[in-house]
Amino acid sequence: MRDDDNVKIRDVARALREPVRVDASFNERVMRVVRELPKHSHLSFWRRWAMPRTITVRPLAASLAAASLVLFALVGLWHVSDDLDRAAKPIAKAIFPPKVAPEQHVQFVLVAPDAKKVAVVGDFNGWDPSHLGYQAQHRGGGVWAVTASVPIGHHRYSFVVDDSLWVADPTAPRVVDNDFGTTNSAIVVEEQR
Amino acid sequence: MIVERVLRGNAEAFGSLVERYRDRYARYALHMLGNREDAEEALQDAFTRAYRSLARCDDPERFGAWLFRILVNRCRTLGARRGRRAKTFVFDETALLSASEDHPAEQGAWREEIDRALQRLRPEQREAFLLKYVEELGYDEMSRLTGVGVSALKMRVMRACDRLRELLSEVHSA
Repeated sequence: MRDDDNVKIRDVARALREPVRVDASFNERVMRVVRELPKHSHLSFWRRWAMPRTITVRPLAASLAAASLVLFALVGLWHVSDDLDRAAKPIAKAIFPPKVAPEQHVQFVLVAPDAKKVAVVGDFNGWDPSHLGYQAQHRGGGVWAVTASVPIGHHRYSFVVDDSLWVADPTAPRVVDNDFGTTNSAIVVEEQR
Repeated sequence: MIVERVLRGNAEAFGSLVERYRDRYARYALHMLGNREDAEEALQDAFTRAYRSLARCDDPERFGAWLFRILVNRCRTLGARRGRRAKTFVFDETALLSASEDHPAEQGAWREEIDRALQRLRPEQREAFLLKYVEELGYDEMSRLTGVGVSALKMRVMRACDRLRELLSEVHSA
């Protein structure tokens, strides 16, 4: 959010958060329709179990039940912990090998002689132009560049000039973003061999 | 619990749910659709659909959130139908429906400009902006509600903000 803008979005939002009143006759209109619909007649078997309800329990009974459970769990754990430990470690390692998200360093370059600030946004940084790792530096002659980590895979990205102007990378293939009908750039980051 | 009472056959208890959520959700429908008639239609439709499907509400304690998801979808459907019908909106309706608090003339005009600018946003940007800044939802909740990814929602909100600034700055400088 750029608070120094002429129009402050937070002020706009505050104005829109003013309460709205609907005529009380609205309730009657809804209820008229509801009364014509079939009544719900029972709770299903599953809902009987899933529905929250208040249960009365004597403190003594609750304490005894809790103590029994704890005792049961401790005895069980004591019996099986060593075996489990021996058996589970290699299985866990095989199923869940330690993950390191593979990334590559990618250099993004844009020629923008009149720009005062250039950032790279993309699906790899949440389309966030304030992300510190993706701020381009001016290298002279209107050339802006940044080298940043990007996960292996297919990505969409764009440049944001002076916090407001979205510019597709002129050197990269373009893709139309279906969500917005706008054009971004496409990049494929591959593992180094 | 009201939902449980309705499910046991007490249809009149549903009136308490209408009373509780009516005004709160009318605001979203009104801002999203831009006029009272459509907003009330979407809201009424959401309530009756919620009543019909109440047995499928997995967590009765979160009935409000479940109802809101139905409303968001109804607004999308109605908005798309309205978009096909005519591209005209009654911008003054929002101001008319707003709380009775009196605004000075200048403030009222500014408020009308906000409503006008809001209706000029693309529907998906307006939806994201309202959920984020007016309903004050987090991106994860917005994503669950709309079925749209967090990254896409962030971009929609950012573009909505840029467009609103642009439209309202024009008014400022005029």
